[in-house]
Amino acid sequence: MSEKGAGKIGISRLVSDTRKEKVRLLVKSARHIWRDFRKNRSGMFGLTVLIVFAAMAVFAPILATYKDPSALTWARVNPIYHPPSGQFLFGTDSHGRDVYSLTIWGSRASLIVGLVASLISIVLGTSIGLVSGYYGKVSDEVLMRFTDFFLVIPWFPLMIVFSMVMGKTFLNVIIVIGITSWPSTSRIVRSQVLSVKEKAFVERARAVGSGNGRIISRHILPNVFPLIFANTVLLVANSIFSESFLDFFGFGDLRVISWGTMLENAYSAGAFSSSAWWWILFPGASIVLLIMAFYLIGDALDDVMNPKLRRR
Amino acid sequence: MPESFRMYVGKRVLYLLVTIFLILSFNFLLFRVMPGDITKMRGVDPSTGTMMREYYGLNSSLPAQYVHFLEQTLTGHLGVSLSYRKGSEVSSILGPPLMNTLILVGSGTIISIAAGIYLGRLTAWHRGKSVDKIGSGFFLIFYCMPTFLFALVLLQMFAIYVPNWPVRGATSPDYDSFNTVGQLEDRILHTLLPLFALVIESVASFSIIVRSSLIDVMTEEYMVTAVAKGLNSRKILRDHAMPNAMLPVVTVVAMNVGWILSGSIMIEVIFSYQGLGYLTYKAVLGYDYPLLQAAFMLEAVAVVLANFIADLMLFKLDPRVKL
Repeated sequence: MSEKGAGKIGISRLVSDTRKEKVRLLVKSARHIWRDFRKNRSGMFGLTVLIVFAAMAVFAPILATYKDPSALTWARVNPIYHPPSGQFLFGTDSHGRDVYSLTIWGSRASLIVGLVASLISIVLGTSIGLVSGYYGKVSDEVLMRFTDFFLVIPWFPLMIVFSMVMGKTFLNVIIVIGITSWPSTSRIVRSQVLSVKEKAFVERARAVGSGNGRIISRHILPNVFPLIFANTVLLVANSIFSESFLDFFGFGDLRVISWGTMLENAYSAGAFSSSAWWWILFPGASIVLLIMAFYLIGDALDDVMNPKLRRR
Repeated sequence: MPESFRMYVGKRVLYLLVTIFLILSFNFLLFRVMPGDITKMRGVDPSTGTMMREYYGLNSSLPAQYVHFLEQTLTGHLGVSLSYRKGSEVSSILGPPLMNTLILVGSGTIISIAAGIYLGRLTAWHRGKSVDKIGSGFFLIFYCMPTFLFALVLLQMFAIYVPNWPVRGATSPDYDSFNTVGQLEDRILHTLLPLFALVIESVASFSIIVRSSLIDVMTEEYMVTAVAKGLNSRKILRDHAMPNAMLPVVTVVAMNVGWILSGSIMIEVIFSYQGLGYLTYKAVLGYDYPLLQAAFMLEAVAVVLANFIADLMLFKLDPRVKL
């Protein structure tokens, strides 16, 4: 800072400087995380797979042989059970639909459900965990019984029942998964909040007159975040899991092309007895790979962001 | 210790009762907001409709219905099935499926825990060696594979390559005509495939948990001490590492009971294994709300009870558990 400007430093100047400093620190820590993450081989493998699938979903209209998903109807225009070939890369199904195009388009459903449902679940879980951990006492007791209740209830029947109540639309599938998967997040957030709120800087913030809202948003949340970040990635994997279940058992939106629905069709048409292995292999492998990608990334992030004792 | 244990049990029992009460209330509310009106369903004539309104107390206010519902449920009156076995009491339908599910999930859980501990220990102890690499790779693949996917491949494989293998149902249709040995054999043959599908998935997740928990424990100071004392590795593993590694395992296994049950529902549906899950699925398809409600309640209570038992076990295993 130059001599000339020294006298003129106002509050606004200081604030903008702290902002800059914060951004600098954030970039620095992100860079550190990335540096460590890059060394994690399985994490990088997961990231690569995820990028491939994300590209598939984004560029589906370019990649798929059938540019328009609505062309993939039950009308038989192609030979049925055509094995993989130049024209049908992944073969065709019992109605002559191109499995390659279906698989490409199906990536959209899985990724959208995975991401949006996890977002719902994170918002719900974090707010419940924050309130119950921060305010404690009665709200804690009530919210935790509520969480325990959702934690122990078998999620699959619950999902079935919910989807029956709400109806089978794509949006409802997302909501159902979101509202059944938050309890583990809220547990994690709560336990972290309990330890953070006893730290000296929280006490200091309170001493200088910060309100609860400010303490939560400025001091507690940033310290809880690294923990839920890795958890979020794992949640996405779970949501994709659940989406494929719902679709497979016919509780999803049947108008949306998804891997779960493809597998359901293959199952009820008896793909194996027609030795149409491609009809099961490609959507099946896609689900496994995508879930694995999120799982590996989440695991690697957990290692990087919450380092335990260095492995001996 | 016994005094605090009694306190602990008391508190857990209280939580258990609260949770069961919540399940009941939730069950009540959920099925009041479900679409459709059972008295206007196809095949229900007006007089039956009136009778049903009477039976379910649908003419009274919501709180009164709630009290009525609790009364009925607690005295074992779960209503009358609407589609699965029309007209019979739900409570009389639930017995055999519950038995079938208990056989499948019970043996599946025990086998998975035993195999998961064994495999997790094996891979953790040989961390980084080829046993671990191959094992962990397998765990990962099966962990990430949706339960129904493996089950359906297994089913269709057997249906084609082993045509005589009974792939559908929990027992043969003429099960009752067999003698005891025949019945046992029949049951085992029918249970084997669904059991395998169930076990392979849960073994994968249990092994992963045991392995990572053991690896965590192995970084502790007391493990170094044990090695420095010159104890042999078998003793270190058995006496120092395993007891500590088991704590998170018990917690996770207990939380997984819900998962296993959910997984078993899918497997039951795919193999048409007449268990509780299959019943749930059928009830959903037939909009058989009384049956669905009862099955859902039973499943939820079973999981809550399993968690309760795990809590008690955890208390016994870990002296640090606070009230």
